[in-house]
Amino acid sequence: MFTNSKRFSRRRFLGVSAGAFAAGPLGPFVRAARAQVTTFKAGVITSLSGENILGGNLTKRGYDLWAEAINAKGGVEVAGERFKVDMFYGDDQSNPATGADAAERLIVQNEVDVLFGPYTSGSTIAVQPICQKYQVPMISGSAESPNVWKAKPEFNFGIIPAVDTTAGKSLAVLAKLSNPMAKTIAVIGVNEPFSKETGEGFRDGAKEAGLEVVAYELVPASGDLTPVISKIAALNPDIVAVGGHEEPLINVVKTSKSLNFRPKALIMHYGVTDPAFAQALTADADGTCGVSVWLPSVPYKDDLFGTAKEFAEMAQKKSGHEPDYTEAACAASGLVFGDAVKRLGKKPALTPEDRVALKDAIAATDIQTFYGPIKFEKEGIHYHDNVQPVPVLIQIQGGKTVAVGPKEAAAADLTYPLPAWK
Amino acid sequence: MDLFLQTLLNGLLIGGVIATFTIGFQLAFGVLHVIDFAVGGWVVLGGYLGYYMGVGLGVDGFLAIPVAFVLFGAIGYLIGPILYNVRNSRTARPELMALALTFGLFTLLRGGMLTAWGFNTHSVPTVLSGESLAVGPVTVPLIRVAAAVFAIAIAGGLFLFLYRTRYGLAIRATAENRQNAALMGVNIRRLSATVYGLYAGITAMAGVLMGAIFSVNPEVGLRYTLFAFFVAVLAGLGSVGGALVAALLLGVIEAFVATYIGSSYSLLAIFGTLFLVLLVSPHGILRHGL
Repeated sequence: MFTNSKRFSRRRFLGVSAGAFAAGPLGPFVRAARAQVTTFKAGVITSLSGENILGGNLTKRGYDLWAEAINAKGGVEVAGERFKVDMFYGDDQSNPATGADAAERLIVQNEVDVLFGPYTSGSTIAVQPICQKYQVPMISGSAESPNVWKAKPEFNFGIIPAVDTTAGKSLAVLAKLSNPMAKTIAVIGVNEPFSKETGEGFRDGAKEAGLEVVAYELVPASGDLTPVISKIAALNPDIVAVGGHEEPLINVVKTSKSLNFRPKALIMHYGVTDPAFAQALTADADGTCGVSVWLPSVPYKDDLFGTAKEFAEMAQKKSGHEPDYTEAACAASGLVFGDAVKRLGKKPALTPEDRVALKDAIAATDIQTFYGPIKFEKEGIHYHDNVQPVPVLIQIQGGKTVAVGPKEAAAADLTYPLPAWK
Repeated sequence: MDLFLQTLLNGLLIGGVIATFTIGFQLAFGVLHVIDFAVGGWVVLGGYLGYYMGVGLGVDGFLAIPVAFVLFGAIGYLIGPILYNVRNSRTARPELMALALTFGLFTLLRGGMLTAWGFNTHSVPTVLSGESLAVGPVTVPLIRVAAAVFAIAIAGGLFLFLYRTRYGLAIRATAENRQNAALMGVNIRRLSATVYGLYAGITAMAGVLMGAIFSVNPEVGLRYTLFAFFVAVLAGLGSVGGALVAALLLGVIEAFVATYIGSSYSLLAIFGTLFLVLLVSPHGILRHGL
């Protein structure tokens, strides 16, 4: 057995060595062939399987919308010529370590010029060292955890403001609009990177808004929510705020109803803006508040997508769903790449030096898009994050997402206090 | 005191919920000697059936429970002989091959559901969804009561089936000693198919309830597989009655830890309990199988 194994190993070693020796001289030709390509290569790393599959596909749809729109126009414009974009995909399987492997494969095997970032903050943080190692810029249309930017990632840029800048502000708007004014709040955060920081954002924002935090609970993603909802129901706070992704948010509403507990206001962060939330809960979704940094009604536009409303119609036609702010931000990520590479003036395929220059060009971005203004922070704890958009408080009313605050952005009045469960 | 009573009730009810999908798992292990990783897949399939019957056909989700038993019981009956062949093949380590087969089946089910039905999260509408009953200071969620009653009924029904019928005797004989049972005239292959069908049907029925209590998407199956495995290990692999006791125990521990210490410690408490039981009583809390 041992002898066979050894013989096989030797034979295999010789075979591989011979192959490598023969292939060696072909190396420059392979690179030369790559140098003649007439398309930019963009890699998308996101959750195409695993527990974050819903959001992963949402990000993919956003990035793809940009690729289809720009290719329909002939491609990205560089020095008077247009170059189409080829999209390559890597599945992080909702696992940060797998995301890092997928990024490395996209860079090394597919030789992408730019990366579009994962749905989750955890995967984004895991991919950042890979971007740094290979000096490939990554534009993230989804990651919202402040921890993504605290380490000052040189090659990573974020389109959506970090949740610590949005959750607290929205809570302050909710508290201000509440009548009679809310005094107490309980905060639940799912114990995972983005959701936990959303919970912290709500907790810290509550203190600034003058609300008394009667409970702050971190719950495991797979745990039963009955005990924590029972505990909070016993404290009877005016507001319950939840940081989490889609499934836990749906389960919070279902569990609250099953325990016949309804606070005066229920605010969640991400997930509420996705139409799937209201579809899963039907009438029980009504009254739930959320935070959004983009809505189809915002007054922004650009040359590729037109107005925010026109973008929403295009996305709706493509997927059958109204886009939310993450899908919009992912599409806007492509606009950032297109603008930066145009200013850079380098045709595909980008050399390693070009990619470093592309990173600097992205850092200098200052554009107006259908999503809103995009300009990245150059220092501080939100380094390379776009903190320009102003958060809007939304509420589900009659199955639709409507802006209820601040007053200048409101399309309807806030329903407060929420009526008892029917 | 009110919160204490509510917590105790919450724990017992979530225990009953967990028991619904663990009982069949135990039965399958007891007879087939296979740890079936596909258990979560059957749960999710049941949930989707409930969703499509509830939303698509407009009927109450509870009507999907008997349909789930017949439909997935029949599918399980067809898969059972394949599993039996792999488990009893002459290849090296047939138990690991069978484990790999169920893992592959789980992956196939998950991928198939993803392709067929997408990644959105759905709920199963039932007449009891969101309904509750106030009993003194305690709020009783009726859908969870239904799940707990279902678990007790299934455990009781299985007990009667296993200990009061000739077929049940054959199943217990096979679980105890496969060769002797075969020598006594038991058709092990057919019995394995029946048991796997029974298990798949029971688990899919539990899935309808899971979809009504929580929500369903192709990715939640892994969670149910893990919980079924934890409960099974705590109960003693193969012990149907133990599954009910272990699930109630874990439910109560989780509820009290989450309420009085902190939700972030609930999984730690569950794993700690599992570790302690394995240390003190490696055969499980009831120390016997079927």
